[in-house]
Formats: sequence, structure tokens, C-alpha cells
Amino acid sequence: MAGAPRVSLNLESPTPAYRQIANDLRRHLVEERLKPGDLLPPIRQLALDLGVHFNTVALAYRLLADEGWLELKRRRGAAVIAREAPRAVDRRKLDHLLKQLGHVAAELRSAGMSSRQISAALHRLAQGAKP
Amino acid sequence: MTSASWFLMLVVAVHAFVFHVLPRLSRPDILFAVTVSEAFVAGEGRRLVFRYRTIVWIGAAAALAISLLLSATRPDSVWQALPVAGNVVVASTAWYLAHRKARAHAVPPSDVRVASLVPRDSSLPGGALFAAGPFAILLAAALVVYTYRGDGPDGADASNPFGLLELAAVQVAIMLTIAVTMVGRSRQIAVDGPAAAAEQRFRRVNALVPVLVGYLGAIAMSAMTVASMPAFANTLGGVVWYLPQLAFMLFGLGVASWMFRVGQGGQRAVSPAARRDVHGDATPDHAWRVGGMYYVNANDPAMWVENRVGLGYTLNLGNWRAWLLIVGMILAFMVVSRLVF
Repeated sequence: MAGAPRVSLNLESPTPAYRQIANDLRRHLVEERLKPGDLLPPIRQLALDLGVHFNTVALAYRLLADEGWLELKRRRGAAVIAREAPRAVDRRKLDHLLKQLGHVAAELRSAGMSSRQISAALHRLAQGAKP
Repeated sequence: MTSASWFLMLVVAVHAFVFHVLPRLSRPDILFAVTVSEAFVAGEGRRLVFRYRTIVWIGAAAALAISLLLSATRPDSVWQALPVAGNVVVASTAWYLAHRKARAHAVPPSDVRVASLVPRDSSLPGGALFAAGPFAILLAAALVVYTYRGDGPDGADASNPFGLLELAAVQVAIMLTIAVTMVGRSRQIAVDGPAAAAEQRFRRVNALVPVLVGYLGAIAMSAMTVASMPAFANTLGGVVWYLPQLAFMLFGLGVASWMFRVGQGGQRAVSPAARRDVHGDATPDHAWRVGGMYYVNANDPAMWVENRVGLGYTLNLGNWRAWLLIVGMILAFMVVSRLVF
């Protein structure tokens, strides 16, 4: 069922709250469930609904604005903008993300997944399927 | 029996009725201010409600019997108010005991919070122009007072002729602050679908109430001020006293019956399938104090949260903005009262 886009926050997760919010938003943006022109809730509204500090949501919005996905609007939240092709590849950032992926792959292996299963799951994720 | 005795007995009966329906007003999975499963509400919870209601009505019956006795023996005594107070104490104790029993069946709060990414309408119901209406009414009344204040045997009353209007302006400002913060600083619990729509409607009606109370206050105070002027004293008559009160009562009854029908958060008007994803009211049980009467949670950014005892919203007393509102209200009335009277 393709309902309205949602964001979820796991209080027990070791991932910081602002990262979880940004990750969910980025997934919606990459999978085009949020399109250019769409408005996101104001920071205060989303923070109230999730029960987190306003700064947590502001940080998540700022992160995605820096990545070129959002335009921040004063008192009106944020709007999704047409993102231009990624700027010059940030080698350091890519290395960092690949390193994180390596850690996750190792964890999956130790949890019993074969490398073939990991590759297939990764392929599905890259195509936009849910984990 | 005196009319006061009849009135006090009526108060006892109304109290008992309110306490009787109280458990039914909460969200479907909140019982006696505790988040429980709907299965518990339908099973063991029913027995808990039955026991609670039995105590409430036994207390009310005892209070009525004592009222009758006192009206026969001491018809003019202040002791006649005792059964009313006693009835409230008994019913509140029954509620508290039921609350403690329900806590043993509390559902642990979820570690996952979900919110919609679709912005919702957090503007004032009716818009800013509609909200400014009471001020326009008060301003018009002030102009009338200013124009006609010299038309009388001794001119205007010795006290401030604008006094009631100033007091009403403060009341309207407070009501608007309540309405604005209620739509802008309360949490949406249902994420989407009919449950979310019902909740949003419930919130907006709740925020409309203080706006309309502001209107009624402005109309009543304006009418009283104008009617008390010598130039209009014989033309307006008693209608200015009774009409606003009648309107106020009808409005209150209408809102109360609607809220009673849809239940807390509008969720009783939604099918169980539509509110499948909605659990509790997104507030932790431990933050509710005195049997669920008060909510105190400094970690919750919400200024208003849904009541757990009764319908509508209540302030989060752990939020500094809530205290700002409370202290501001008290100070504003104190200052204006001192200036006016």
C-alpha cells in the first residue's frame, strides 16, 4: 500500500535521531515518493509529532538541504527542489560510506547471510525496494 | 425543601453521571488514564469499569440521602454542601483505585515513533480575520461608549466606563493564544487515513471553542456595557443579560454532545480497522500524575496533549511555554482587574 510518506524514529537505535529522520527522508527522495515542489511539514510540526527537540528535525532538514534535496523555508518547513546532477564526487565521503557498508556486510555475514544473499539484497535496495 | 437543596441534589446527580461516563470518553485503548490493549478494555476492563461505576452510584445515593436528611433537619445550613463535596471525593477515589488496578495491565510504550511527512493545517480555524472579530466588536462598543458617555443625568458612571471592555479584550487575547497554541503546539497521533482526518477535525473544533468563547465574551461584555449607559438603559432591557448566557449554554451543549459522540481525539467515530496503526496517545503513562489528571513531561516538546480524564486537551506542565501561558493569564487578569475596578 503506497500511503502518504512517513518518517519513523526508533528510540532504541544507536543511530542518532536526526540521522534516522534524514535517512528516511533521503529514501523517499531517492525513490521519488517526494518530488520537486512537495512541501515538508514545518520543523516544529514534525518535531512535535515525533516527540523530539526542534533542533533534531532542523538538523535533519539542514543535512538534506546541504545535499541539495531541500530548500529551507522560514517558518514553513522545507520544499523539495529539483536536484541537479551530483556535484563533483566527494571521494572522502564515498570512502566513508563504503567503509560503513563494509561493516554492515561483515555484520550480515556474521548473522548468517551468504555473500550472494547480501549482493542480492544490496541490488534490491539499490533498485529502490524496501529492506 | 428549599430551592438550594434541590439544586445541590441536582449537582450530585450530574457529578455522578459525569463520573459514570468518564471511562467511555478516552481513546479506545486508554482506560482509567492507562494505555492498555483493546482486548483488555473489552474483557477484564469491563469488570473494572463496572466496579468503579458501582462505587460512584453508591456514593451518589448516599450523598442524596444525606442531602434529603440535611434539607429536613438543617434547611439553611452550609452543611448542605457537604454531600456534594463527599460525592466528588468518593468518585475520585474510585477513579484513582481503578487507575491503579489498570496500571498492572499497561502496555509498554513503543520504541518506534512515526509521523506523516504531509504538512497539516495548523492555522487558526476560520482564519485571522475571523479571529479578529471579537476585537472589532469591542472596539465598536468602545466607540459607542465614547460617543454617548455624557448623555445622562450625571454623565457616565463614576467608575471606568470602558472597564468591562478592557477585561473582555484580555479574555479574548487569552482565548486566541489558547487556540493558536492548541493547533500549532499539539501532537498528531494518527499518521494518515480516516483516523488522522478525524483527529485533525477534533483538534480544530477544540481550537474553535476558545475563539467562539472570545466572541461570546465580547458580545456579552459589549452588550452589558452599552446597556448600562444612561442613553440606552431603557431601550435594551433584560435581553442583553439573558441572550448571551443562553447562546453560551446552547453552544456549550452542542460542542459537548459532539465531542461525547466522537470521543477523545475523534477516534470512537472511526472504525477499528482504520485506527489499526494508532496505539494510545503517544504520551508515556508514567508522565501522567494524580490518576491521569496532569501531564508533566519536560522531554515532550508538545505544549498541549490530549486529556486522559475527560475530553479535549490539557497543558503539559513540564513545558515552560505552558507555564508562561498560565502565569501570563493570571498576571493579565490581575493587572487589568486592578486597572479597571
